Order: sequence, then structure tokens, then C-alpha cells
Amino acid sequence: MISFITRRLAAGVVVLFAVSTVTFFLLYFSSANVAREILGDNATAEQVELKKKALGLDQPLMSRYWAWLKDALQGQFGASWFSGRSVTDSIMSRLPATMSVVLVTIIVVAIVSVLIGVAAAVRRGWVDRGLQVVSISGAAVPQFVVAIVIVSVFAIRLRWFPATGYERWSDGPGLWAASITLPVLALTVSGVASTAQQVRSSTIKVLEMDYIRTLRSRGLGSSEVLFRHALRGASPAGLTVLSLHFISILGGVVVIEQIFALPGIGFLALESTTRGDMPVLMGVVVYTVILVVVINLLVDLAVGWLNPKARVS
Amino acid sequence: MRREPDGTLVPMLATDWKYNADRTKLTLTIRSGVTFTDGTPVNAEAVKVNLDRFRTGNGPDAKKLSRVENVETQGESTVVLTLSDRDPSLLENLGNSAGFIASPTAIEAGNIGTDPVGSGPYTLDTANSVDGSEYTYVKNPDYWDESLQKYDTIVIKQFNDTTSMLNALLSGQIDAGPLTPNTAEQAKNAGMTEYRYSTDWQGLLIFDRDGTKIPALKDPRVRQAINYAIDKKALLDQVLNGYGTVTSQILPPSADGFAPDLDTAYPYDPEKARKLLADAGYADGFAVEMPTVSGLFPQALVAGLGKYLGDVGIDVRWQPIQVADLVASLAQGKYAMSWYSLFQGSAWVTATQVILPDAIYNPFHSSTPEVAATLQKLQDGDDAQQAAAATDLNAEMTEQAWFAPFYRKDEVYFTAAGTTTKPQAQQVVPSIYNFAPAQ
Repeated sequence: MISFITRRLAAGVVVLFAVSTVTFFLLYFSSANVAREILGDNATAEQVELKKKALGLDQPLMSRYWAWLKDALQGQFGASWFSGRSVTDSIMSRLPATMSVVLVTIIVVAIVSVLIGVAAAVRRGWVDRGLQVVSISGAAVPQFVVAIVIVSVFAIRLRWFPATGYERWSDGPGLWAASITLPVLALTVSGVASTAQQVRSSTIKVLEMDYIRTLRSRGLGSSEVLFRHALRGASPAGLTVLSLHFISILGGVVVIEQIFALPGIGFLALESTTRGDMPVLMGVVVYTVILVVVINLLVDLAVGWLNPKARVS
Repeated sequence: MRREPDGTLVPMLATDWKYNADRTKLTLTIRSGVTFTDGTPVNAEAVKVNLDRFRTGNGPDAKKLSRVENVETQGESTVVLTLSDRDPSLLENLGNSAGFIASPTAIEAGNIGTDPVGSGPYTLDTANSVDGSEYTYVKNPDYWDESLQKYDTIVIKQFNDTTSMLNALLSGQIDAGPLTPNTAEQAKNAGMTEYRYSTDWQGLLIFDRDGTKIPALKDPRVRQAINYAIDKKALLDQVLNGYGTVTSQILPPSADGFAPDLDTAYPYDPEKARKLLADAGYADGFAVEMPTVSGLFPQALVAGLGKYLGDVGIDVRWQPIQVADLVASLAQGKYAMSWYSLFQGSAWVTATQVILPDAIYNPFHSSTPEVAATLQKLQDGDDAQQAAAATDLNAEMTEQAWFAPFYRKDEVYFTAAGTTTKPQAQQVVPSIYNFAPAQ
């Protein structure tokens, strides 16, 4: 088990290094005019040169990269070129909004998918056909369209939930929950569409397996067979889909944060990309990769716990 | 000093300001008895620290005080600014960001960027603010002018997307916000109050008046042809739902030198455009590269502009570039001409932005003896001479077609029931002082 975790973490470090290095070199080519962008229309050419020097943009690529890497290894990501605020502070102030939405979405997607997927697998018939329709339409409608419809109905017309913004947990759990409900709902629709299908097909497969038939022939109740044995066998496939889905939710959250004006990481990434705010962008990349690696590791551990065979392979 | 909604300057921390005879020394009198919220007194020394910091700190607006050569204090409440050269926009700049005064103690401590300390009517409540998203301000209990404190708390929210701002307005989360012509209809239907005013003009900047890159552009007839070739009204309707006023001049109605009849100096006349091109020896037209930035340049505009110019024989080759590279590319003279949206200020502000040989949007440093003479009068003359020079400059720019303005774009600002505001001259968003609860 320990060697499994160590191997996974080592792979994670390699991924982190590769992604951040490639990002750094790609950004280098797009940061040529950032000093002008910071100083705006009014600045003179001399001012722009001074700014370039102050930001180290006059240094050769490799020495800039080493300087960044040395700091990053010590957990130092510097300060935003535009606001002067520490990158770590900015990210930390924005992680709660993103993580609230992403984690709650994953939990909701997991629960709803299992319920619908298992129901479709066991009952078949109209439940199953209903799931097919929902899946296909859920996958076909873009997230932002879902989001816009949800906002206009539940926020603007009915005024049940706020249309924009994020409330911290410390401001009140009720406020917090209300502020993330619509974003979570928007992300859940497409998540359920793809995950429920997986749960359905793997449940059907497991239910047809010999050991389930054996359990049934011994006279175990059908609900016991289903919940104690079949689901345990079917869940790894669902979990794996979910862990893959986590990355796409993280991608989708960028759009959702924009529509709901949530102060999250995606919003920060978008903003710093358009401006060319390299320190912030690099910080966001590093933190996001770490997040993806950690979540995937946790999912792998959960799969291993549910299905001992996965640990060996 | 503070700018009233119409742009007039009224006393604020500076209670009085006076130029010497040749306008190279400006004497400011500083209000006495005011303190910053950290207890530091607001005095001449504090003002000097801020002005010096602003002009030497290499910030985005440092150029606004670039003609200030020296700042000295005389006693507790007098500050004298010595200028290297006359600067007709100095007072206006001091009524804006260049005149923002922060506590020298906080500046010294080094965290003024994230923990501002000023002496204004409101203080930032950092505990209830999220950087880049929401800023909460609370009433400063010691403020000297209660008439400027119409609210106990003001929350400013940042939106990067007009749709989410519209949603926040419609659902009652915010009381006021700037929208766009495309979202205005929905806000109007929901009963919000609309304010329309203009701050920018949009059109073509024809940089290459010397013909360095495109020889044809050296001929004023060619530049005039470009002006005649474009159906400005159609573009305005297509691009901005008609939210704006068609024009052929770069000065706004609020500026000295504005001439109403110049709004119609170049009506849509492709025949005339073709004739002018032929007269200049370009009957077969020519090709020109122009930048376009996805998301910033409206698609309808890019399509329409290409068509109108193409109709008279000018072949536009669009070069898609990144938004971050736009200003630098224009300033470096990479393009002979470009569409752009530019702030409309006084004649002198306009001159420093697009006409003076060292202006950022005069990348080929074009000048003529006539323009140089007019600019000199605009900078050095007394009030009457400056006004006359502004009129001359505007006429020359239009006649010589240094630009091909399309329209003055309308800003659309909305307030919900319970809130009123007054548009602030030359600002997209009204100043905080202009907001008040509806009576």
C-alpha cells in the first residue's frame, strides 16, 4: 500500500514538473508586451523599459525559469504583476469558492448517479429509457446554457437563490449553501449524464456475474445482494469515471465562475491569462495540478479499498 | 480637488489653487484640521510625499504629472508645484487619480497597495472584502464633510461579464451598474433607470500620415476617401444597436473646440470616395493590414468595415492578434491604421493622447508646421487663445483626415429603484459622490 502511494506521488511530482515547465515556456512567448499592458496607454517607452527591468523581463529565458523554479520549490510564487498582491494569498482567498462548488458537485453527482444508475440497471423498462434520454440531452446541452436557464428561473424570476457571488461558510452555512446551489446544479447536470450511464452498465454487468447468482441461489434478499455485494463490485468503475470527471468539472467551473461571478480559481486563471499576469498564472497551474493529483490519488485509494484486486494491479 | 458631475473642479483637500502669470507654478492651499484614518495629519508634507511618489513611482498614470519638475512645501498648508513646461491638463489630472492622497505613514510601512489608508469619506473594510471580487467600504466617522456620506456602507462588486452583472441587477443583488447596448433592453424592461452619456469615440486611427508603410496614406485625399467610404450610421446600428452619435470629429461636445457641423463632415458617399482615390492616383485601390482582437473588436464591425473599404478598392487584410499585444503593437507603429476606441477629453488631453509627436497613438510621430503651431498655442495661450486653438486643431484634424471617426459611443448605466446617480463627465462609472438614495 505504501509503495503504491509512493509510486503515485512520484508520478504526480513528475506531472507537476512537466506541466509547470511547459506552461512557463509557453507563457514566455506571450509575455513580451506585459509591461506596456501594466502601465497602460499613458506610459512612455522609457517607463515601459524600466518596468520590464523591474519585472526581470530583460533577463534571458533560462535564468528567469531557474529563478522561478528555485522560488517555487520553496513554496514562493511571488506577487501579481498587476495588483502586487501575493500569489499564494490570492489563490488561498479563492480556493474556498472553487473547492466548495467542485466538491459539493462531485458528491451530488456521485449520489444522484448511483441512485439513477442503479435504478435503471435493476428496474430497466421506462426508468432505463428515461435515463438514456436524460443522459443524451444532459451531455448535449452546454453547461453555460444550463447555467443561464437556471439563473433566469431560480434567481431572477423566483428569487430563491442569489444570481451571483459567493458567501463564505463563516458568514453562515445557510448563506454559503444558497450561494453555491445554482453553480452546483449547473455543473451537476452534465456530470450526472455521463456518470449515471457508467454506474448503470457496470451494475448490469455485475448483476449478471456468477458470484451474484451464487449469492442469490443461497437465498439472500435481493436488496442485500444489491447493496452489500453488487454495488461494491460496480462502484470502482463509477468512481474512476468520477475522478476523470473531476478534471472536466474543474474545467467547467471556469465558465460557471464567470456566469455566477464567483471569486474562484477559474476566474483568477481567466483574468491573469488575458492580462498575461505570469506569477499568478503559474501559481494557479501549480495548485491546480497538485489538486488533480491528490484527488486522483484519493479516488484510487477508495477504489483499492472497495476492490482489493485493484491494489495489486 | 474634486470634479463635479459636469467636470468643474471644487475644493476638497485642496481649498484653493492658483497659477502664476506664465502658468509654470501652481500653488495649492491644503485644508487644515483633516487627518488620515490612521491619525497622521493631512498637511503640505503629506501632499508632497504623494505627488512625488506618483510621478516617480513608474505607475500607469505617472505621465499625468510628468511636467511637474519639483514639489515644495511652504509651511503646514501650502504646496508649490513647479512645471518644466505648461500643462493645460494638470488641474484636471489633480482632480483625478493623480490627486489621490494617502497616509505617508502607511506608504512608509509599504503595504499601502493592499491596506489603503486615506482621509476620504469611506474606509475599506478588509475583513469583508475579497480581492478582485468584492470590496466593502464603511463611513469614516471623522470625515469633515457629511454631505459626501450618503450611505453607511458601500459594497463594490467586480464582474468580468456583462450577463452576470445584468443578472445581479435584475435579481436585486446590486443597485447600480454599467451595462452594454445588448443588455440594456432587458434592464429597461425590468423598470431600471437608464443613464446614457458618452466617454469614448470609436473609429479608425490613420497613423501613417507620412506614407512610411503605405505610401497612399500620405495623400490627404486618400484619408478623406476612407472617411467617405464608411457608412457610420449603419455600423452604429449594427454594432451598438444605435447607442451613440455619428461623428467625424474627435472632440466631444463638452470640450473647447467642438464644432457641431463637423459631426457630419464626411457623410457616407462611396462615389466621392472612389473619385478622391482616383484623383490621388489610386483608382485601383491598395491593400492595408489592420489588427483585430477577438472579443474586443465587434464582429459586425470587422465585417462591415472590411466591406465598406473593399467597396472603394481598399483591401483590408485583418491580422488577428492577442489583446495583450494590441496597445504595444499600435504604439510601436506595426500598423498603418487601426480601429480603436479612445477616451474623449479636453482638446489638450486629446492632443497628448493622439496628436503630439510623442503621443502614444501617434506612432509615426506625424506633424505638420500648421499642426505644430496650433498645438503650441493650445499649450501656451491664455484661456481665449486656447479655446481658439482647440477649434483650429479640431478643424485641421478633420480636414486633413488624420482619423476616420465613426461615432461617439453611448455608455449605458442603470440604477435600480431606490438609487439615483448622476453621470460623471469623462467617466464610464459615476463617482461615488454622485450616488444617492432615491427621494
